[in-house]
Amino acid sequence: MVHISDGILAPWLWGSGWVITAAILAYTLKKMKIDDVPKLSVITAAIFVASLIRIPAGLTSVHLVLSGFAGVTLGILAYPCIFIALVMQAFLFQHGGITTIGINTVNMGVPALISFFIFKAGMKLKLNIGIRKNEILFGAIAGGIAVALAVLLLAVELLVTGEQFTEIATTVVLAHIPVILVEAIFTGVIAGFLATVKPEMLSIGR
Amino acid sequence: MISEIDIYAGLSSPIHRWDPRLKVISIFMLIFSIMLLYDLKLVIISMLFAIILVYISRIPFSFILGRLKWVFLFVLPFLIILPFTVIGEGSEIAKIGSITLNFRGIESVEFAVMIVIKALTSVMLIFPMIGTSRMDITFKALEDLHLPNKLVQMLAFTYRYIFVLSNEFMLMERSLTSRGFKRGSNLYTITTLTKAIATLFVMSFEQAERVFYAMRSKGYAGKITTMHEFTLRPHDWLYTVVVCGFAIFVQVAVWYGTLEGT
Repeated sequence: MVHISDGILAPWLWGSGWVITAAILAYTLKKMKIDDVPKLSVITAAIFVASLIRIPAGLTSVHLVLSGFAGVTLGILAYPCIFIALVMQAFLFQHGGITTIGINTVNMGVPALISFFIFKAGMKLKLNIGIRKNEILFGAIAGGIAVALAVLLLAVELLVTGEQFTEIATTVVLAHIPVILVEAIFTGVIAGFLATVKPEMLSIGR
Repeated sequence: MISEIDIYAGLSSPIHRWDPRLKVISIFMLIFSIMLLYDLKLVIISMLFAIILVYISRIPFSFILGRLKWVFLFVLPFLIILPFTVIGEGSEIAKIGSITLNFRGIESVEFAVMIVIKALTSVMLIFPMIGTSRMDITFKALEDLHLPNKLVQMLAFTYRYIFVLSNEFMLMERSLTSRGFKRGSNLYTITTLTKAIATLFVMSFEQAERVFYAMRSKGYAGKITTMHEFTLRPHDWLYTVVVCGFAIFVQVAVWYGTLEGT
Protein backbone atom coordinates (compact mmCIF):
# COMPACT_ATOMS: atom_id res chain seq x y z
CA MET A 1 0.00 0.00 0.00
CA VAL A 2 2.96 2.31 -0.34
CA HIS A 3 1.64 3.27 -3.73
CA ILE A 4 -1.48 5.40 -3.64
CA SER A 5 -4.41 5.11 -6.05
CA ASP A 6 -5.78 7.75 -8.36
CA GLY A 7 -8.08 10.45 -7.10
CA ILE A 8 -7.05 10.54 -3.45
CA LEU A 9 -4.19 13.01 -3.14
CA ALA A 10 -4.63 16.70 -3.93
CA PRO A 11 -3.89 17.54 -7.58
CA TRP A 12 -1.04 19.94 -6.75
CA LEU A 13 0.65 17.09 -4.81
CA TRP A 14 0.62 14.53 -7.60
CA GLY A 15 1.41 17.31 -10.05
CA SER A 16 4.58 18.25 -8.22
CA GLY A 17 5.32 14.52 -7.91
CA TRP A 18 5.52 14.37 -11.72
CA VAL A 19 7.79 17.43 -11.82
CA ILE A 20 10.25 15.99 -9.27
CA THR A 21 10.21 12.57 -10.97
CA ALA A 22 10.80 14.11 -14.40
CA ALA A 23 13.80 16.05 -13.06
CA ILE A 24 15.43 13.06 -11.32
CA LEU A 25 14.63 10.80 -14.31
CA ALA A 26 16.27 13.24 -16.73
CA TYR A 27 19.43 13.26 -14.61
CA THR A 28 19.62 9.50 -14.01
CA LEU A 29 18.78 8.61 -17.62
CA LYS A 30 21.68 10.77 -18.74
CA LYS A 31 23.96 8.71 -16.47
CA MET A 32 22.60 5.47 -17.93
CA LYS A 33 24.09 3.86 -21.03
CA ILE A 34 21.90 2.18 -23.65
CA ASP A 35 23.99 -0.95 -23.05
CA ASP A 36 22.66 -1.04 -19.49
CA VAL A 37 19.06 -1.35 -20.69
CA PRO A 38 18.75 -5.16 -20.92
CA LYS A 39 20.46 -5.73 -17.57
CA LEU A 40 18.48 -3.07 -15.75
CA SER A 41 15.24 -4.30 -17.30
CA VAL A 42 15.80 -7.84 -16.08
CA ILE A 43 16.51 -6.60 -12.57
CA THR A 44 13.42 -4.38 -12.76
CA ALA A 45 11.35 -7.36 -13.84
CA ALA A 46 12.83 -9.44 -11.02
CA ILE A 47 12.00 -6.68 -8.52
CA PHE A 48 8.48 -6.55 -9.95
CA VAL A 49 8.00 -10.32 -9.63
CA ALA A 50 9.54 -10.46 -6.16
CA SER A 51 7.29 -7.65 -4.96
CA LEU A 52 4.28 -9.89 -5.66
CA ILE A 53 5.51 -12.61 -3.30
CA ARG A 54 3.65 -12.70 -0.02
CA ILE A 55 5.53 -13.35 3.18
CA PRO A 56 3.51 -14.17 6.30
CA ALA A 57 4.01 -11.70 9.15
CA GLY A 58 1.93 -12.22 12.24
CA LEU A 59 -1.75 -12.23 11.41
CA THR A 60 -1.39 -10.71 7.97
CA SER A 61 0.97 -11.24 5.08
CA VAL A 62 3.12 -8.56 3.56
CA HIS A 63 4.23 -7.81 0.05
CA LEU A 64 7.85 -6.90 -0.29
CA VAL A 65 8.48 -3.32 -1.39
CA LEU A 66 12.12 -3.84 -2.42
CA SER A 67 12.96 -0.17 -2.90
CA GLY A 68 15.86 -0.52 -0.48
CA PHE A 69 17.09 -3.55 -2.40
CA ALA A 70 16.90 -1.57 -5.64
CA GLY A 71 19.04 1.16 -4.10
CA VAL A 72 21.59 -1.33 -2.77
CA THR A 73 22.02 -3.13 -6.11
CA LEU A 74 21.43 -0.43 -8.72
CA GLY A 75 22.68 2.77 -7.11
CA ILE A 76 21.13 5.90 -8.57
CA LEU A 77 19.78 3.89 -11.50
CA ALA A 78 17.25 2.52 -8.99
CA TYR A 79 15.15 5.59 -9.73
CA PRO A 80 14.33 4.81 -13.40
CA CYS A 81 13.87 1.16 -12.45
CA ILE A 82 11.33 1.98 -9.76
CA PHE A 83 9.58 4.29 -12.21
CA ILE A 84 9.31 1.49 -14.79
CA ALA A 85 8.17 -1.01 -12.16
CA LEU A 86 5.42 1.37 -11.04
CA VAL A 87 4.31 2.04 -14.62
CA MET A 88 4.07 -1.73 -15.11
CA GLN A 89 2.19 -2.14 -11.86
CA ALA A 90 -0.29 0.61 -12.72
CA PHE A 91 -0.98 -0.61 -16.24
CA LEU A 92 -0.67 -4.39 -16.00
CA PHE A 93 -1.87 -4.91 -12.47
CA GLN A 94 -3.94 -1.83 -11.81
CA HIS A 95 -2.11 -1.46 -8.50
CA GLY A 96 -1.61 2.20 -7.74
CA GLY A 97 -2.82 4.95 -9.98
CA ILE A 98 -1.84 6.51 -13.26
CA THR A 99 -1.86 10.17 -12.33
CA THR A 100 -0.01 9.18 -9.16
CA ILE A 101 2.89 7.38 -10.87
CA GLY A 102 4.97 10.54 -10.40
CA ILE A 103 4.38 10.94 -6.69
CA ASN A 104 4.61 7.18 -6.07
CA THR A 105 8.03 7.15 -7.74
CA VAL A 106 9.09 9.98 -5.45
CA ASN A 107 7.79 8.10 -2.40
CA MET A 108 9.71 4.94 -3.25
CA GLY A 109 12.58 6.25 -5.36
CA VAL A 110 13.92 9.01 -3.12
CA PRO A 111 14.16 6.65 -0.10
CA ALA A 112 15.86 4.14 -2.44
CA LEU A 113 18.48 6.76 -3.33
CA ILE A 114 18.95 7.55 0.37
CA SER A 115 19.35 3.87 1.22
CA PHE A 116 21.96 3.60 -1.54
CA PHE A 117 23.98 6.43 0.04
CA ILE A 118 23.65 4.81 3.48
CA PHE A 119 24.84 1.47 2.11
CA LYS A 120 27.73 3.09 0.26
CA ALA A 121 28.80 5.03 3.35
CA GLY A 122 28.51 1.87 5.43
CA MET A 123 30.77 -0.05 3.07
CA LYS A 124 33.40 2.67 3.36
CA LEU A 125 33.40 2.43 7.15
CA LYS A 126 35.21 -0.95 7.04
CA LEU A 127 33.89 -2.21 10.36
CA ASN A 128 35.78 -5.39 11.13
CA ILE A 129 32.84 -7.44 12.36
CA GLY A 130 33.47 -10.49 10.19
CA ILE A 131 33.06 -11.61 6.63
CA ARG A 132 29.84 -10.38 4.97
CA LYS A 133 28.54 -9.04 8.30
CA ASN A 134 29.14 -5.53 7.06
CA GLU A 135 26.95 -6.05 4.01
CA ILE A 136 24.24 -7.76 6.07
CA LEU A 137 24.19 -4.99 8.67
CA PHE A 138 24.07 -2.06 6.28
CA GLY A 139 21.80 -3.91 3.87
CA ALA A 140 19.31 -4.36 6.70
CA ILE A 141 19.57 -0.71 7.72
CA ALA A 142 19.16 0.45 4.12
CA GLY A 143 16.20 -1.87 3.52
CA GLY A 144 14.39 -0.84 6.69
CA ILE A 145 14.98 2.88 6.20
CA ALA A 146 13.82 2.79 2.58
CA VAL A 147 10.37 1.46 3.56
CA ALA A 148 10.08 3.59 6.70
CA LEU A 149 10.80 6.76 4.73
CA ALA A 150 8.40 5.77 1.96
CA VAL A 151 5.59 5.23 4.47
CA LEU A 152 6.35 8.50 6.23
CA LEU A 153 6.29 10.41 2.94
CA LEU A 154 2.93 8.86 2.08
CA ALA A 155 1.50 9.66 5.52
CA VAL A 156 2.65 13.27 5.28
CA GLU A 157 1.13 13.58 1.80
CA LEU A 158 -2.20 12.24 3.07
CA LEU A 159 -2.17 14.68 5.98
CA VAL A 160 -1.32 17.60 3.71
CA THR A 161 -4.20 16.64 1.38
CA GLY A 162 -6.78 16.98 4.11
CA GLU A 163 -7.56 16.66 7.80
CA GLN A 164 -10.08 13.89 7.04
CA PHE A 165 -7.20 11.55 6.11
CA THR A 166 -5.67 11.54 9.63
CA GLU A 167 -7.09 8.13 10.55
CA ILE A 168 -6.11 6.62 7.18
CA ALA A 169 -2.54 7.92 7.55
CA THR A 170 -2.27 6.40 11.02
CA THR A 171 -3.57 3.06 9.74
CA VAL A 172 -1.07 3.11 6.88
CA VAL A 173 1.87 3.73 9.21
CA LEU A 174 0.80 1.06 11.71
CA ALA A 175 0.15 -1.50 8.95
CA HIS A 176 3.68 -1.06 7.65
CA ILE A 177 5.62 -1.76 10.83
CA PRO A 178 5.84 -5.53 10.06
CA VAL A 179 6.75 -4.67 6.46
CA ILE A 180 9.68 -2.56 7.65
CA LEU A 181 10.97 -5.47 9.77
CA VAL A 182 10.56 -8.09 7.03
CA GLU A 183 12.11 -5.77 4.48
CA ALA A 184 15.13 -5.07 6.73
CA ILE A 185 15.77 -8.80 7.21
CA PHE A 186 15.22 -9.43 3.51
CA THR A 187 17.62 -6.73 2.31
CA GLY A 188 20.24 -7.74 4.88
CA VAL A 189 20.15 -11.42 3.92
CA ILE A 190 20.17 -10.66 0.21
CA ALA A 191 23.08 -8.21 0.53
CA GLY A 192 25.08 -10.87 2.38
CA PHE A 193 24.13 -13.50 -0.21
CA LEU A 194 25.16 -11.29 -3.13
CA ALA A 195 28.43 -10.32 -1.41
CA THR A 196 29.42 -14.02 -1.46
CA VAL A 197 27.79 -15.21 -4.68
CA LYS A 198 27.88 -12.24 -7.04
CA PRO A 199 29.60 -9.19 -5.57
CA GLU A 200 29.46 -7.30 -8.88
CA MET A 201 25.69 -7.02 -8.45
CA LEU A 202 26.09 -4.76 -5.42
CA SER A 203 26.27 -1.07 -6.18
CA ILE A 204 29.53 -0.42 -4.32
CA GLY A 205 31.50 0.09 -7.51
CA ARG A 206 29.01 2.50 -9.04
CA MET B 1 0.01 -15.76 -11.81
CA ILE B 2 0.13 -12.78 -14.17
CA SER B 3 -2.26 -12.55 -17.07
CA GLU B 4 -1.41 -10.38 -20.01
CA ILE B 5 -3.45 -7.27 -20.53
CA ASP B 6 -3.48 -7.46 -24.34
CA ILE B 7 -5.20 -10.84 -24.70
CA TYR B 8 -8.18 -9.11 -26.33
CA ALA B 9 -6.04 -7.15 -28.79
CA GLY B 10 -7.20 -9.46 -31.57
CA LEU B 11 -10.82 -8.34 -31.44
CA SER B 12 -12.22 -5.85 -33.91
CA SER B 13 -13.87 -2.65 -32.74
CA PRO B 14 -13.61 1.09 -33.47
CA ILE B 15 -11.22 1.41 -30.50
CA HIS B 16 -9.05 -1.40 -31.89
CA ARG B 17 -8.87 0.40 -35.23
CA TRP B 18 -7.96 3.71 -33.58
CA ASP B 19 -4.34 4.79 -34.16
CA PRO B 20 -2.42 3.69 -31.02
CA ARG B 21 -0.53 6.97 -30.74
CA LEU B 22 -3.67 9.12 -30.64
CA LYS B 23 -5.46 6.50 -28.52
CA VAL B 24 -2.79 6.52 -25.80
CA ILE B 25 -2.56 10.32 -25.69
CA SER B 26 -6.33 10.93 -25.72
CA ILE B 27 -7.21 8.43 -23.01
CA PHE B 28 -4.22 9.51 -20.91
CA MET B 29 -5.51 13.08 -21.12
CA LEU B 30 -9.01 11.90 -20.23
CA ILE B 31 -7.74 10.10 -17.10
CA PHE B 32 -5.90 13.22 -15.93
CA SER B 33 -8.93 15.38 -16.59
CA ILE B 34 -11.19 13.07 -14.55
CA MET B 35 -8.73 12.96 -11.65
CA LEU B 36 -8.88 16.76 -11.44
CA LEU B 37 -12.65 16.62 -10.84
CA TYR B 38 -14.07 17.17 -7.38
CA ASP B 39 -17.76 17.09 -8.23
CA LEU B 40 -19.69 13.87 -7.63
CA LYS B 41 -22.13 14.42 -10.52
CA LEU B 42 -19.37 14.99 -13.08
CA VAL B 43 -17.39 12.03 -11.71
CA ILE B 44 -20.39 9.75 -12.20
CA ILE B 45 -20.92 11.07 -15.75
CA SER B 46 -17.23 10.35 -16.44
CA MET B 47 -17.60 6.83 -15.16
CA LEU B 48 -20.54 6.28 -17.53
CA PHE B 49 -18.38 7.62 -20.37
CA ALA B 50 -15.63 5.14 -19.40
CA ILE B 51 -18.17 2.30 -19.36
CA ILE B 52 -19.34 3.30 -22.85
CA LEU B 53 -15.73 3.28 -24.09
CA VAL B 54 -15.22 -0.20 -22.64
CA TYR B 55 -18.48 -1.35 -24.22
CA ILE B 56 -17.43 -0.07 -27.64
CA SER B 57 -14.03 -1.74 -27.29
CA ARG B 58 -15.78 -5.14 -26.86
CA ILE B 59 -13.42 -6.21 -24.09
CA PRO B 60 -15.54 -8.54 -21.93
CA PHE B 61 -16.73 -6.88 -18.72
CA SER B 62 -15.98 -10.06 -16.78
CA PHE B 63 -12.27 -9.62 -17.59
CA ILE B 64 -12.32 -6.02 -16.35
CA LEU B 65 -14.41 -6.79 -13.25
CA GLY B 66 -11.84 -9.38 -12.20
CA ARG B 67 -9.20 -6.65 -12.18
CA LEU B 68 -11.46 -4.00 -10.64
CA LYS B 69 -12.07 -6.27 -7.67
CA TRP B 70 -8.51 -5.71 -6.43
CA VAL B 71 -8.65 -1.97 -6.90
CA PHE B 72 -11.90 -1.92 -4.98
CA LEU B 73 -10.31 -3.85 -2.11
CA PHE B 74 -7.53 -1.26 -2.06
CA VAL B 75 -9.85 1.76 -1.85
CA LEU B 76 -12.36 0.07 0.45
CA PRO B 77 -10.56 1.29 3.63
CA PHE B 78 -11.18 4.85 2.47
CA LEU B 79 -14.88 4.16 2.22
CA ILE B 80 -14.93 2.60 5.70
CA ILE B 81 -12.54 4.81 7.63
CA LEU B 82 -12.95 8.22 6.00
CA PRO B 83 -16.48 9.09 7.20
CA PHE B 84 -15.54 8.45 10.81
CA THR B 85 -13.10 10.25 13.03
CA VAL B 86 -11.74 10.00 16.56
CA ILE B 87 -10.20 13.46 16.76
CA GLY B 88 -12.17 15.63 14.36
CA GLU B 89 -15.56 17.29 14.69
CA GLY B 90 -18.78 15.39 14.05
CA SER B 91 -21.81 13.80 15.63
CA GLU B 92 -20.94 11.30 18.31
CA ILE B 93 -21.99 7.72 17.61
CA ALA B 94 -19.99 5.60 20.05
CA LYS B 95 -17.74 6.01 23.06
CA ILE B 96 -15.12 3.45 24.07
CA GLY B 97 -13.26 4.58 27.17
CA SER B 98 -11.73 7.96 26.45
CA ILE B 99 -12.03 7.54 22.68
CA THR B 100 -15.12 8.93 21.01
CA LEU B 101 -16.03 7.83 17.51
CA ASN B 102 -17.54 10.64 15.50
CA PHE B 103 -19.43 10.57 12.23
CA ARG B 104 -18.29 13.33 9.89
CA GLY B 105 -21.63 13.70 8.13
CA ILE B 106 -23.07 12.90 4.74
CA GLU B 107 -20.56 15.12 2.85
CA SER B 108 -17.68 12.90 3.86
CA VAL B 109 -19.54 9.80 2.67
CA GLU B 110 -20.04 11.55 -0.66
CA PHE B 111 -16.33 12.42 -0.73
CA ALA B 112 -15.35 8.81 -0.01
CA VAL B 113 -17.70 7.51 -2.72
CA MET B 114 -16.20 9.99 -5.16
CA ILE B 115 -12.66 8.77 -4.37
CA VAL B 116 -13.73 5.17 -4.99
CA ILE B 117 -15.48 6.00 -8.28
CA LYS B 118 -12.47 8.01 -9.50
CA ALA B 119 -10.05 5.16 -8.72
CA LEU B 120 -12.31 2.63 -10.49
CA THR B 121 -12.84 4.89 -13.53
CA SER B 122 -9.13 5.40 -14.03
CA VAL B 123 -8.52 1.64 -13.94
CA MET B 124 -11.41 0.98 -16.30
CA LEU B 125 -9.95 3.37 -18.87
CA ILE B 126 -6.66 1.44 -18.91
CA PHE B 127 -8.36 -1.37 -20.83
CA PRO B 128 -9.49 0.55 -23.93
CA MET B 129 -6.18 2.42 -23.77
CA ILE B 130 -3.66 -0.42 -23.90
CA GLY B 131 -5.79 -3.55 -23.95
CA THR B 132 -6.86 -2.95 -27.54
CA SER B 133 -3.50 -3.12 -29.32
CA ARG B 134 -0.69 -5.61 -29.11
CA MET B 135 1.87 -4.57 -26.52
CA ASP B 136 4.76 -4.30 -29.00
CA ILE B 137 2.69 -1.94 -31.14
CA THR B 138 1.88 0.18 -28.09
CA PHE B 139 5.61 0.40 -27.32
CA LYS B 140 6.32 1.38 -30.91
CA ALA B 141 3.64 4.07 -30.57
CA LEU B 142 5.31 5.38 -27.41
CA GLU B 143 8.59 5.58 -29.29
CA ASP B 144 6.87 7.49 -32.09
CA LEU B 145 5.54 9.91 -29.48
CA HIS B 146 9.16 10.82 -28.65
CA LEU B 147 9.22 9.48 -25.14
CA PRO B 148 12.84 9.06 -23.95
CA ASN B 149 14.17 6.10 -25.91
CA LYS B 150 15.85 4.49 -22.90
CA LEU B 151 12.57 4.47 -21.00
CA VAL B 152 10.63 2.87 -23.87
CA GLN B 153 13.36 0.24 -24.27
CA MET B 154 13.25 -0.54 -20.56
CA LEU B 155 9.46 -0.81 -20.66
CA ALA B 156 9.57 -3.22 -23.59
CA PHE B 157 12.29 -5.40 -22.04
CA THR B 158 10.78 -5.41 -18.57
CA TYR B 159 7.40 -6.37 -19.98
CA ARG B 160 8.90 -9.40 -21.69
CA TYR B 161 10.93 -10.50 -18.69
CA ILE B 162 8.12 -10.25 -16.16
CA PHE B 163 6.44 -13.33 -17.62
CA VAL B 164 9.70 -15.29 -17.95
CA LEU B 165 10.73 -14.56 -14.39
CA SER B 166 7.35 -15.17 -12.78
CA ASN B 167 7.34 -18.60 -14.45
CA GLU B 168 10.82 -19.29 -13.14
CA PHE B 169 9.85 -18.29 -9.65
CA MET B 170 6.80 -20.54 -9.80
CA LEU B 171 9.06 -23.48 -10.68
CA MET B 172 11.33 -22.58 -7.77
CA GLU B 173 8.41 -22.39 -5.40
CA ARG B 174 7.17 -25.77 -6.55
CA SER B 175 10.52 -27.36 -5.86
CA LEU B 176 10.60 -25.74 -2.41
CA THR B 177 7.14 -27.12 -1.65
CA SER B 178 8.07 -30.57 -2.87
CA ARG B 179 10.91 -30.57 -0.34
CA GLY B 180 8.44 -29.83 2.44
CA PHE B 181 8.75 -26.05 2.75
CA LYS B 182 5.78 -24.30 4.33
CA ARG B 183 5.25 -20.59 4.78
CA GLY B 184 4.85 -19.42 8.34
CA SER B 185 5.50 -16.34 10.45
CA ASN B 186 9.10 -17.02 11.33
CA LEU B 187 12.62 -16.01 10.45
CA TYR B 188 13.16 -19.32 8.65
CA THR B 189 10.43 -18.55 6.10
CA ILE B 190 11.80 -15.09 5.46
CA THR B 191 15.39 -16.23 4.98
CA THR B 192 14.39 -19.20 2.79
CA LEU B 193 12.20 -17.08 0.53
CA THR B 194 14.89 -14.41 0.47
CA LYS B 195 17.48 -16.90 -0.71
CA ALA B 196 15.09 -18.19 -3.38
CA ILE B 197 14.53 -14.63 -4.58
CA ALA B 198 18.28 -13.93 -4.43
CA THR B 199 18.91 -16.95 -6.66
CA LEU B 200 16.26 -15.62 -9.04
CA PHE B 201 18.11 -12.30 -9.18
CA VAL B 202 21.51 -13.86 -9.83
CA MET B 203 20.07 -16.20 -12.47
CA SER B 204 18.26 -13.39 -14.27
CA PHE B 205 21.30 -11.12 -14.07
CA GLU B 206 23.46 -13.73 -15.81
CA GLN B 207 20.71 -14.45 -18.33
CA ALA B 208 20.46 -10.74 -19.12
CA GLU B 209 24.14 -10.61 -19.96
CA ARG B 210 23.85 -13.54 -22.38
CA VAL B 211 20.70 -12.13 -23.98
CA PHE B 212 22.36 -8.77 -24.43
CA TYR B 213 25.38 -10.28 -26.24
CA ALA B 214 23.07 -12.34 -28.44
CA MET B 215 21.07 -9.24 -29.33
CA ARG B 216 24.19 -7.20 -29.99
CA SER B 217 25.47 -9.82 -32.41
CA LYS B 218 22.15 -9.64 -34.27
CA GLY B 219 22.46 -5.89 -34.70
CA TYR B 220 20.57 -4.43 -31.72
CA ALA B 221 21.25 -0.69 -31.50
CA GLY B 222 18.63 0.43 -29.00
CA LYS B 223 15.61 0.84 -31.24
CA ILE B 224 12.30 -0.97 -31.67
CA THR B 225 11.90 -2.52 -35.10
CA THR B 226 8.50 -3.84 -36.13
CA MET B 227 6.86 -4.31 -39.52
CA HIS B 228 3.98 -2.14 -38.35
CA GLU B 229 3.63 1.30 -39.92
CA PHE B 230 1.30 3.91 -38.49
CA THR B 231 -1.01 5.87 -40.76
CA LEU B 232 -3.53 8.47 -39.68
CA ARG B 233 -6.97 8.36 -41.28
CA PRO B 234 -10.02 10.61 -40.73
CA HIS B 235 -11.70 8.26 -38.21
CA ASP B 236 -8.58 8.39 -35.98
CA TRP B 237 -9.08 12.14 -35.64
CA LEU B 238 -12.83 11.71 -35.10
CA TYR B 239 -12.30 9.42 -32.05
CA THR B 240 -9.63 11.78 -30.74
CA VAL B 241 -11.99 14.73 -30.96
CA VAL B 242 -14.74 12.79 -29.14
CA VAL B 243 -12.53 11.59 -26.26
CA CYS B 244 -10.47 14.77 -25.85
CA GLY B 245 -13.67 16.77 -26.30
CA PHE B 246 -15.20 14.97 -23.32
CA ALA B 247 -12.04 15.58 -21.26
CA ILE B 248 -12.28 19.30 -22.03
CA PHE B 249 -16.08 19.33 -21.55
CA VAL B 250 -15.87 18.18 -17.92
CA GLN B 251 -13.27 20.84 -17.15
CA VAL B 252 -15.43 23.53 -18.76
CA ALA B 253 -18.39 22.24 -16.74
CA VAL B 254 -16.36 22.64 -13.54
CA TRP B 255 -15.37 26.14 -14.59
CA TYR B 256 -18.96 27.15 -15.24
CA GLY B 257 -20.03 25.53 -12.00
CA THR B 258 -17.61 27.63 -9.97
CA LEU B 259 -18.71 30.75 -11.80
CA GLU B 260 -22.33 30.07 -10.88
CA GLY B 261 -21.37 29.45 -7.29
CA THR B 262 -19.76 32.87 -6.82
